[in-house]
Amino acid sequence: MHRLTRASLTAVLLATFAPLLGAANLPFVEDDYARALSEARSRKLPLFIEAWAPW
Amino acid sequence: MREFVFPDPSLTSRAGQFVWLAINTEEEKNAPFLLKFPGEAVPTFAVLDPKDESVVLRLVGSMSVPQLHAFLDNARIAVAGGGGSGRQADETLRAADQHYGRRKYAEAAEAYRLALGQAPAQWPPYARAVEALLYSYQQTSAHDRCVELAQRVLKRLAGTPSELTAATSGLDCALALKADAPDKAQRVAAREADVRRIVADPKVAGAADDVSGAYGSLLEARRAAKDEAGARRTAEQWAAYLDTAAARAQTPGQRTVFDSHRLTAYLAMGQPERAIPMLEASERDFPQDYNPPARLAAAYQGMNEWDKALAAADRALPLVYGPRKLRVLEVKAEVLKSKGDLAGGRRTLQEAVAFADALPPGQRSESRVAALRKKLESWTAPSPPPS
Repeated sequence: MHRLTRASLTAVLLATFAPLLGAANLPFVEDDYARALSEARSRKLPLFIEAWAPW
Repeated sequence: MREFVFPDPSLTSRAGQFVWLAINTEEEKNAPFLLKFPGEAVPTFAVLDPKDESVVLRLVGSMSVPQLHAFLDNARIAVAGGGGSGRQADETLRAADQHYGRRKYAEAAEAYRLALGQAPAQWPPYARAVEALLYSYQQTSAHDRCVELAQRVLKRLAGTPSELTAATSGLDCALALKADAPDKAQRVAAREADVRRIVADPKVAGAADDVSGAYGSLLEARRAAKDEAGARRTAEQWAAYLDTAAARAQTPGQRTVFDSHRLTAYLAMGQPERAIPMLEASERDFPQDYNPPARLAAAYQGMNEWDKALAAADRALPLVYGPRKLRVLEVKAEVLKSKGDLAGGRRTLQEAVAFADALPPGQRSESRVAALRKKLESWTAPSPPPS
C-alpha cells in the first residue's frame, strides 16, 4: 500500500497509479455521496468509498 | 486500482455486499464531501456504516486484489459490530480502526501498538495492523518509533506485500529523523539496504505502485546522502522497472497508469526527453485527458524547450479542473519566466493565486495559497537602471 508521503516527488506532477476507466464489475455511484448514502441505508449495506484523483 | 484491481473477476461476487461510491477529489461538487471526510492523500478507501456515517475502516494507499478482499472482509465484520472472537487484540484493533477512521492518529497508534502486544501468534490482522501503525507514526512524526517498528517486523512479513510497505515506511521515517538524531546516517543506510534487497528480488511481492514508491524513497535516500551518481543509478533502475511494467500493459489505459512515475524517473535521470513519445501517445489515445499535455509541459520544461512547454500547457489548461489546475498554471508561469517573460510569468502566477484563493472549502489549501503568494512576491521586476 503506497503511502505517498514524499513531498519532493509530488511536486513533479506525480500521481499514484490512478484510474482512468470505470470498474466494470462493481457498480460504482460516481460523485454523488447523498445518493450512495441513501441507497446504502435503504439496502442496509455498508458504503464503500474510493476517494481518487485523475492525475 | 480501476485499471488493475477493480476489474478483477474475483470481485464480481462482492458487488452486492456494499454500495460502491467513487469520489473524484478534483471535482468541485465533491468539496462538501471532502470537508466532511478530509484526507491527506489519494487514493483513500473507507467503509462507512450508513446508520450513523461513521468510518468503520479506512486505508490510505492502493491495494492489490487480495488486500482489497481482506479489507472488504474486515469492513463487513466491523459494520456487524466486531469479530465476536472475544479476543482482546481484536477488540483493541477495532478501537484502533475507529481512531484511524477519524484520522486521530496519535490515539490510533497507541491502540494499534496495544493490539499488536495483545495479539496471539499467527494473528490474521497482524500485517495490516503493522501497516496502519507505521502510517499512524508517520502522520504523528513519531519517526523514531516508526524506524524501530519497521526494523523489527520485516522478518515476520517476509514474502508478503506488507514487507515492502514496511521497509519503505522505515526508510521514509529514517530520512525524516532530525538531522542530529543519534546514528541517523547508519539508520538510514540500514533501512535503505532493506528496501534495496526487497526490490532487487525479481519475485518481489507487492503492487507495481508500491515498488515504484519504494524506488522513489531510494532516490530520496541517495539525494539525502548527496550521492549524485547513486541517485542517477537509482533513477535508471526505477525507470527500467516502470518501462518493463508499462510494456506489459494490455490496453492504452493500463499503459498511461505508469506515465506520471515514468516522467518523474526520467526527470531524475536528467533525461526528460525519454518521456516525450509515451506522453504523445497518451495524448493521442486520450485527447480529453489533461494529464498528457500537462506532463508534456513539465517534460519540455525539463528540456528547456520553452515554446513546446508553453504549447503543451496551453493544451492542458482548457481541460484541467480543480486543484490540479494550479500546478499547470505554475509550470506555465515558470516557463514564461525562464523564457525571459517575467511579466507574463507574474500574470500567470497571479491567475494561479486567484484560482487557489477561490477554491471551495474542502479543496482550498491555505498552505498552497501561501506558497503561491510567496513565489509571486519573490518574482519582482528588475529595477530600472538609474537615469
